[in-house]
Amino acid sequence: MTVSVAPQAAAWTCPFCSLLCEGTSADASASGLGGDCPRARAALMAHTRRPAIVGALVDGQPAPRDAALAAAATRLAAWRQPLFGGLGTDIAGARALYRLAARTEAICDPADGATLMHGVRAVQDRGQYIATLGELRSRADLIVCIGTNGVARYPEFLRRLGLGEPGSPCRELVFVGVDGPSSGPAGVAVRRIAASGDVFADVQQLAALVAAQRLREPDPALVALAAQLHAARYAVLVWEGATLPAEGALVVEALNRIVGTLNKTTRAATFGLGGNDGAFSVNQAFTWLAGLPLRTRVSAQGLVHEPRLFDAQRLLDERAVDGLLWISSFSPERVPPATTLPRIVLGPPAMAAALQDADALRGCVFIPVATPGLNAAGHLFRTDGPVVLPVFALRDDGLPGVAAVLTQLCDLLGATP
Amino acid sequence: MTTLRIRGGRLYDPINHIDGEQRDIGVRDGRIVALDPREPVTQEIDASGCIVMAGGIDMHSHIGGGKMNLARLLLPEDHRSHFAPAPLSGNPLELPSCGTCIPGTLATGYRYAEMGYTAAFEPAMVAGNARHAHMEMGDVPILDHGAYVMLGNDELFLRLLHQNAGAEALRDYVGYVVHATKAMGVKVVNPGGISAFKFNQRKLNVDENHVHWNVTPRQIVGALSRALTELGLAHPLHIHASNLGAAGNIASTLETIAALDGLPGHLTHVQFHAYGTEGPKKFSSAALQLAEAVNTNKNVSIDVGQILFGQTVTASGDTMRQFANHELGSPRKWIGADIECDAGCGVVPFKYREQSYVNALQWSIGLEIFLAVNDPWRVVLTTDHPNGAPFTSYPHLIRLLMDKGFRDEQLAKLHPDVATQSALKDMKRELTLYEIAVMTRAGPAKLLGLKDRGQLGVGAAADITVYREQADAEAMFTAPNWVLKDGVPVVRDGRVIATPVGGTHYATPGFDANVERLIEANTEPHMRAHHRYGVIGDDELCSCCNGGRLLPAACFPKSV
Repeated sequence: MTVSVAPQAAAWTCPFCSLLCEGTSADASASGLGGDCPRARAALMAHTRRPAIVGALVDGQPAPRDAALAAAATRLAAWRQPLFGGLGTDIAGARALYRLAARTEAICDPADGATLMHGVRAVQDRGQYIATLGELRSRADLIVCIGTNGVARYPEFLRRLGLGEPGSPCRELVFVGVDGPSSGPAGVAVRRIAASGDVFADVQQLAALVAAQRLREPDPALVALAAQLHAARYAVLVWEGATLPAEGALVVEALNRIVGTLNKTTRAATFGLGGNDGAFSVNQAFTWLAGLPLRTRVSAQGLVHEPRLFDAQRLLDERAVDGLLWISSFSPERVPPATTLPRIVLGPPAMAAALQDADALRGCVFIPVATPGLNAAGHLFRTDGPVVLPVFALRDDGLPGVAAVLTQLCDLLGATP
Repeated sequence: MTTLRIRGGRLYDPINHIDGEQRDIGVRDGRIVALDPREPVTQEIDASGCIVMAGGIDMHSHIGGGKMNLARLLLPEDHRSHFAPAPLSGNPLELPSCGTCIPGTLATGYRYAEMGYTAAFEPAMVAGNARHAHMEMGDVPILDHGAYVMLGNDELFLRLLHQNAGAEALRDYVGYVVHATKAMGVKVVNPGGISAFKFNQRKLNVDENHVHWNVTPRQIVGALSRALTELGLAHPLHIHASNLGAAGNIASTLETIAALDGLPGHLTHVQFHAYGTEGPKKFSSAALQLAEAVNTNKNVSIDVGQILFGQTVTASGDTMRQFANHELGSPRKWIGADIECDAGCGVVPFKYREQSYVNALQWSIGLEIFLAVNDPWRVVLTTDHPNGAPFTSYPHLIRLLMDKGFRDEQLAKLHPDVATQSALKDMKRELTLYEIAVMTRAGPAKLLGLKDRGQLGVGAAADITVYREQADAEAMFTAPNWVLKDGVPVVRDGRVIATPVGGTHYATPGFDANVERLIEANTEPHMRAHHRYGVIGDDELCSCCNGGRLLPAACFPKSV
C-alpha cells in the first residue's frame, strides 16, 4: 500500500491501543502528539527515544536492504519449522503474512497469544453476546468491570464510553475484584466490590446468583450486584484478556453465561478489551483466509489449530521450532523473546538499539519497517470487534510496510518449496 | 492478444432467448465477441456434448463480513476433521483454506468457481463493518462481489422516520450510506426488530410499533423502498421480512408485500417466511399462498433460501429472531452482537434433520415455492448460504428441481407426516435447463442491473461456464469442464487453474451534499463525539478489495 499522508493532523487515529481513538490531539510537530493519553505519548516517544537505524542489519552489521532480504530468505528457507511471532502489523501485513506462512508452513502466534486465546477459546466453547463502543455509549446504564479497571492499559476507555456527559445513560460503574478510579466522571457513582479476590470463584458465584441459584453464605455485595444486573435495562460486563490468569477463558465463559441469563428477561452484553499491536487484526484476517484463528500452523497438508500447544514461548523453550520471524511494527520496544534460535526481525528503526541493548543482534536479520498510523497508512480492528478503521500516515519516512517486506520475502522464496 | 473460441456447445442464454441452440462463442479481451468461423484463435475449447451458460451469479450468499468471521471463530469443528486437519484440495495453486458450511474466504472462491459461479453478493453488510466486509470479499478469489448494506434498524433512520423528516431527507441519508459503504444495494432485516431488541422488545409484527421510536415495520419498508426507487438503485429493496422462522409468519410476509404499495421489492430467503399454523403441530406450509402472492404482485421478486439436510450455521443480522431460536441450535453455542446503533448479528449453528417434522417441512416448502411460482425471472436459486445449506449443495438442489423421480425418492426418506402430506408429492413440474439458467444467471443479473453479466451475447463480459451434458444434473453442475472469468480460463475439469482477483460492484447514487449536516443534527449530543464510519473512497475500496477492479453502477432515479 502506498503511504498516504493524512490531509490534516487532526485526522490522526491513534494506532497504539485497540481503542483506536480518532481526532486525538495530533500536532505532529510538537510534544502535544498523543493528546492526554499517556499510552499514546509513551508509544510515540518510544519511536524517538533511541537512535534510529534506517538501514538493515545482518548479525549486527549494516547491510543494504536487498542483501538483508536475501539473507532473511536464505535463512527462512532453511528452517524446517518456522515460528512467526509478534505479528504486530495491520491487515495488509496480515494478508502478506498468510501467504508467507503458507509458503513456509509456519506456526503463527501473536505477542500476546495467551491473552488473545482467553477470548477465542471462550467463543469456541460457548459463544458470546457482545456490544460495541457505540452501543455502550448509547444505552449501557450499568457497566461492571471484572478484574480490570479498564484505564491501566486503555487510559481513554472511560472517556470513550462518554461517561458523565449529558445524555449518557450510565449512572453507575462497578469494579469487581479490582480498584477503580477513586472518583468517577460527574454523575456516575463508582463502586468497588472486593469479593474474594479469586476471579474464577467470584464470577462463578455471580453467575449462580444471577441465575437465582441458592447459595450458602453468598457475598452480600455480589447478591446486590446480581439484583442490580437484573434491574438494569442494558448492563455490560467488561473484561480484559491481559488481566486474566491462566485458563482465563473460563472467566470469559462465566461472563457470557451471566449475560445469557440476563438476556432472557432484560438486555445485557459483554465487552472485551484486548487485541493491541494488531493482534485482533491479524487474528481476524487469518480467520477469514484460513477458516481458523491464530495459533495455527498453515500448511498445504492441512491447517492445524492448537490454541494451547502453539504458544510461542513454549515452542521456543522446547525447541519445537528452529527459527523465529518476529514482527513488531508498532513498538520498537517489543523485541523478540530471548532465544538462541536464529531470528528475522521486522520492527521500527528504533528497535535496532533495543535489540542491541538486549544483546540480540547475533543470529539476527533486522529489517526496519514503517508503523501503521505513524509513517504508513493501514487498517486496524478496534477492540470491540466489528469496527475496522483506517489509520493514516503522519509523515513519510520512506520505510517499507510489513506487507511489502513479507511479499518480497515470499517472492524470493519462489512459488514452491 | 489472445482470442478464444468455445466450439460446438449448446447454449442456454435466456437474456438472448437462446434455449439449447448449438453455437460457437468467441472471446477476446475479456469480452464475448462475434468471430468469423474461419478466424484463427489462440485457444479453442471443444464444447461438443456440453452445455454452455454464463457464469453463475449468487445474489444472496453470506460470503464476507463480521458475522461470517464470528461463525468461523465459533465453529473450529467446521475446519477440522475430528482430531485431524480438514483435508485440503491438494491443488498447488490454492492457498490453504478450509471449512464446509463456513469456509475460509479463499476456499469460498475456489469452491464457487469450481461449480461454475463467477459472482456472489453478500447480503448483510453492517455499515460500521463495511471495510471488513469488503476485505473479506476481496480475499474471495476469482468471484466478482458486492454487498447490500443493512438499513432500517439504524437509530438515525428510525429517528428520521419517527420525526417525519420527509422522503427527501430519508432518500439523501440512504444515498449517503450506500455511497459511504460502497454498497450495491440496501437490505432491511426484520424491519425495526433488531433495534427493538436492543430496547428489550421481543416481537415486532408488521403493524406493531417499535417500543422506542414508535414506527412500524410497514412504515420502514415503505420508506426504504421509496428512497431506493427515488435514488434509482438497480436492485430493489432487499427484504428479510418480520418474524423469520415463526409459525404463521406468512401473514407478516404478505403484509410486507402489501407495505411495498406497488414499489419494487425483493423478498429474500422466503422459505423461512412461508409458514402457516395448520395441522396438529401448528406448523404448516404456506408455500402456495406465498407463490400466489408472488404470481400476482409483479413488483416482487424472491430468492428461496432452500434448506438441505446436514450441519450448517445460521448467520443473520436478525438478533431478535436468532435469540428466539438459539436454544434450537446444534451444537449448543451461539453468538449475538449489538453493533454501533446501526445493526446486530446472531450466529446459531444448526443441523437440519430429515426426521425432524419441522426441518422436513422446511425442505418441502422451499421446493414448493420454486415449483409454484410461474415466472422464473422473479425466483432466484439460493440456500441463503450458509443458513439453509452451504452453497456447495447447489448441484444437489438443481437436481431436486429438475428431476421429479429423484425428488420423490428424497421426499420418501423424510419424516412420514411430511412425506405423505406434502403438496410437493403432487407437483409434477421439472425445471428445464433454460429455467435453471434464468434462476442462477440471467434472473439475478437482471435483478441486480448487471447488464453485461449473466448472458452470452456479443459485448458481454466473458464469464462463461461449460458443463459436460449428463442425465444426472447434480453430477453435471458439480464439476464444469471449463469456467472462464472475464475471458480467463479459471477452472478446468472441476479444478481451479487460475486465481485472479475479482471485481467489486457498487452503486453510485446521487444525494444532497448537505446530508452530513442532517446526520449531525439528528445524532444525540453525547453520541456526536463517537466516531461514525467514514466514507470509503475509491482508493481505499481498492486496497480493501485486494486491488480488484472497481465496477461502479450508475443509478437511474425515478420519482414516486
